[in-house]
Amino acid sequence: MPSAPPTYLDHAATTPVAPEVIEAMAALWSSATANASSLHRSGVRAARAVETARSQVAQRLGAKPEQIVFTSGGTEANNLAIKGTIAATGRSGGHLICTAIEHPSVLAPMRWLQARGFDLTILPVDRQGQVQPDSLRQALRPDTLLVSIIHGSNELGTVQDLAVLGEICRRAGAPLHTDACQSFTKLPVELATLPVDLVSINAHKIHGPQGVGALWLAPGITLEATAHGGGQERGLRSGTSNTAGIAGFGVAAASFGPARRAALQARHAQLLAGLDRRFPTAHINGPRGNGLPHIVSVTFPGSDAKRLFQQLNRAGFEVSTGSACHATATTPSPALLAVGLEPADALATLRISHGYTTTPEQIDALLDTLHALLRATPGTT
Amino acid sequence: METLDLTGIPCPQNTARALMALELLDPGQALELLIDDGEPHANVPESLEIEGHTIALLERQGPGWRIIAARGGE
Repeated sequence: MPSAPPTYLDHAATTPVAPEVIEAMAALWSSATANASSLHRSGVRAARAVETARSQVAQRLGAKPEQIVFTSGGTEANNLAIKGTIAATGRSGGHLICTAIEHPSVLAPMRWLQARGFDLTILPVDRQGQVQPDSLRQALRPDTLLVSIIHGSNELGTVQDLAVLGEICRRAGAPLHTDACQSFTKLPVELATLPVDLVSINAHKIHGPQGVGALWLAPGITLEATAHGGGQERGLRSGTSNTAGIAGFGVAAASFGPARRAALQARHAQLLAGLDRRFPTAHINGPRGNGLPHIVSVTFPGSDAKRLFQQLNRAGFEVSTGSACHATATTPSPALLAVGLEPADALATLRISHGYTTTPEQIDALLDTLHALLRATPGTT
Repeated sequence: METLDLTGIPCPQNTARALMALELLDPGQALELLIDDGEPHANVPESLEIEGHTIALLERQGPGWRIIAARGGE
């Protein structure tokens, strides 16, 4: 058994909570016990923590604080965006669009609506995971009620060109939602300045706590709540505010700036270069230079990724065989099949996702270990 | 003087935002706040005073209230 702590390279699944986030949350847990809806001084203090975080998150999005609705995470933000938009139309039928590489928390509510009578078009992607503008143009219909396109793919690292795709939706009069949980703060883009109408983000992908997320709504977008109760968050998300968690989200958003992005990019470049140099038969899925700076999807043809995952785990390297939701599945990932991988290649694919604290030595050690493991499997190096 | 429109924002979110805005000012500097009638009228001026700020003016404006608040402190 390795005695050293494992090298965590699964930051696309979740990230360790940053020290400054823990500090901010601990201060609130130990001193601010009030409900952020209470009117006494302690309530106001809790509300201030929430409003400060709302401003911090809004600033990273290039948005106004009042356009932010805090949720319990990305999944709830996606469900609220999709079901809430459709409920607000009052329609019992119509057309919906999403892509073939959506996170399950987008695809499942889309399928849920489909089972209730809505038409659903699932857009294909090219080999890099990109949605082609023409396929979106052709899919849009006069009765398209919502389009949802993931911004940064959790499995491939592909980043969609929302400036182009959003304009197409605008011209067609269809609102565009994007799941930006993987890309938020990792790319130097203010998402609310893009031609999009709803943006889902969360805290735990950016070194904030699990269980906190947000939905950004463009001005004029109306939603119906999916959770009803005390009317918190402008009536769109009832439930006592998770004050400390929200404050942690704010600090995490404020902390993730150019320095952390540069660290991600440096390790990304090192990892890609090392894979190219040492594994000539391996291929990278998704983009090489213009994608997310913390995700590499790599196929080692002829290997068994599940076994490789276990061997790496035993050797002290924690990666993934796909998204966390597919971590134990033996069926190929739909996103990998969507970019044209054969099932055997999809099952020979690892997702390596580093963080801003990952060191160059850790990347080198992973490459060394991978090389040793694959050399023992004929035909894979 | 800057204006912070807090109409439509419930308590105590409105107070929280007013406090955040006031603390960006120099002591004695004033801020105009617009709030709703009812609970906000009952709570916001009171809460700002408790936190050490001064309510220089509180008057009806349309269906709501207009406050001129000055930052407290040294």
